[in-house]
Amino acid sequence: MSAIASSSKVESPAKVGEPHKEDEQPTLGVLEEDDEFEEFEVADWDDSHTDLAHLGGKAPGAAKSGGDKLWEDNWDDDDIEDDFSVQLRNELAKKSSGEAMQH
Amino acid sequence: MKFSNYLLNLSTALVDKSGVDLAYLLSPRKDHGKTIIKEFRNPTRQSMKQFEGSMESPWDEIAIQYVLVVNHIARNKPIEAFKEEAHLVSLFFRYFTSNSGWTLMALFSMLRDLRDLAIDVTYENGQSGTMNMEEAARVISKAFTNCVMDRQSPYVESRKWGVYYVVGLIMKSYFRVKRISLSKNILRAINANPDIPPLTAYPRSHQVIYRYYVGMLEFLNEDFVKVSSRSLLSSYFFNCVSEQELTLAFYTCHIAAKRNQERILIYLIPLRILRGHLPSRELLDRFPNLDKLFSPFVSAIRKGDLSAFDAVLEKSERRLVELNLLLTVERARELCMRVLFRRVWVVSEKSNRMPISLFHSALQVSGQDVPVEEAECFVANMIYKGFMRGYISHEKQMVVVANTNAFPRPADRVSPYANL
Repeated sequence: MSAIASSSKVESPAKVGEPHKEDEQPTLGVLEEDDEFEEFEVADWDDSHTDLAHLGGKAPGAAKSGGDKLWEDNWDDDDIEDDFSVQLRNELAKKSSGEAMQH
Repeated sequence: MKFSNYLLNLSTALVDKSGVDLAYLLSPRKDHGKTIIKEFRNPTRQSMKQFEGSMESPWDEIAIQYVLVVNHIARNKPIEAFKEEAHLVSLFFRYFTSNSGWTLMALFSMLRDLRDLAIDVTYENGQSGTMNMEEAARVISKAFTNCVMDRQSPYVESRKWGVYYVVGLIMKSYFRVKRISLSKNILRAINANPDIPPLTAYPRSHQVIYRYYVGMLEFLNEDFVKVSSRSLLSSYFFNCVSEQELTLAFYTCHIAAKRNQERILIYLIPLRILRGHLPSRELLDRFPNLDKLFSPFVSAIRKGDLSAFDAVLEKSERRLVELNLLLTVERARELCMRVLFRRVWVVSEKSNRMPISLFHSALQVSGQDVPVEEAECFVANMIYKGFMRGYISHEKQMVVVANTNAFPRPADRVSPYANL
């Protein structure tokens, strides 16, 4: 590590730590402090220029089963295969067999 | 442009009833303004007095006032510029109130300029800038009254067609300086005026801005309610209204206005998650920033992985606080626990009897180091809130769930925002 880097660290450890923490926060362009709802370029438009156009007459915000592909209301999944699931299953299997032996 | 030409152009715009031209001519940051003030060496109301009577009142005064505004802007004096612009708007009201809706374009443009100038003051002067923004909101409120009061113009040409855009600007101004609750009076005034045309008859840009701010107001209201621990019923109500308004705002918004869509979704997505409607991949792919923010939560919920949920909550905490979203997102944790418990049921081959110890183990795997009693309490809570259907046999330490629909889809719960 260079002398400059280490000396700045001594000076203000908090500041050195900050940028790193900053990286972890999701960055959101539209969410800066002074950001606000923008003026539209035109005053009016018809439905073909909105997300309603993708619905084919279905109710907006109804979720996939209601015809709106932007939302899901039927997302229970019985066969997720990830580390967590495997761990959970093993743990529960162990537990169940333990319970079974006790009875 | 010479000042004499400026006066001439104003007259022409008035004769032609051209709102667009009028808006352009009265806008203080256009090139013609810069050239006009070159004619005058530091113009004052006094030195401009010679032009009184050069046009029919109030246009002579408006033209003079315009020069004063432009001059202050050129000399980089935001406070003075704001003050003179506020006066300019009030002079314009004299004309506006005796004319029909063709003047709305000019009105909107002037009110936006007024707001922009108040923002300039904020940058320069901090606290006093806040005062100016509130002053701007008050001036814009007068514009609201002047729109509503139109009793003469025929329906199509009514100044009433300015109502919702103007209200949007008022709310936008109060939001800017975080005096959000001051918007409520104006919303009450809308409801008290039954002869305002229905919102859906207005241009879509007006609908979207209005619904966005109403949705936001209700959303933040809900937080206030929660803090002051008023009834759960009103909390439920605010979230419902908020979700409805933001949903309509989103689906009315122009697709090309991506940043505005994104702004709406920042609040709509968490509200819909609480209702059991997760944003689809298709939606998130369109908005990468939102994808980054919400996907980790969505994926933790889908898996029932509480430790992942907690980790991402901690990681995004600061950003969520800034957005006033922390409490709302935090509540989605219940949904995550519901999925975890459902997975216990799936792993138990959907048996209708499961020992509490299984739920306890699941919580442990998911990083929750809690005693068995607490696990039992969580299960009881899930049942109480309608996430599970069944009961607990405390003596036998057994959870008995319904044979059918033991874990109703969260989207089917009757009142998802109640009991949160």
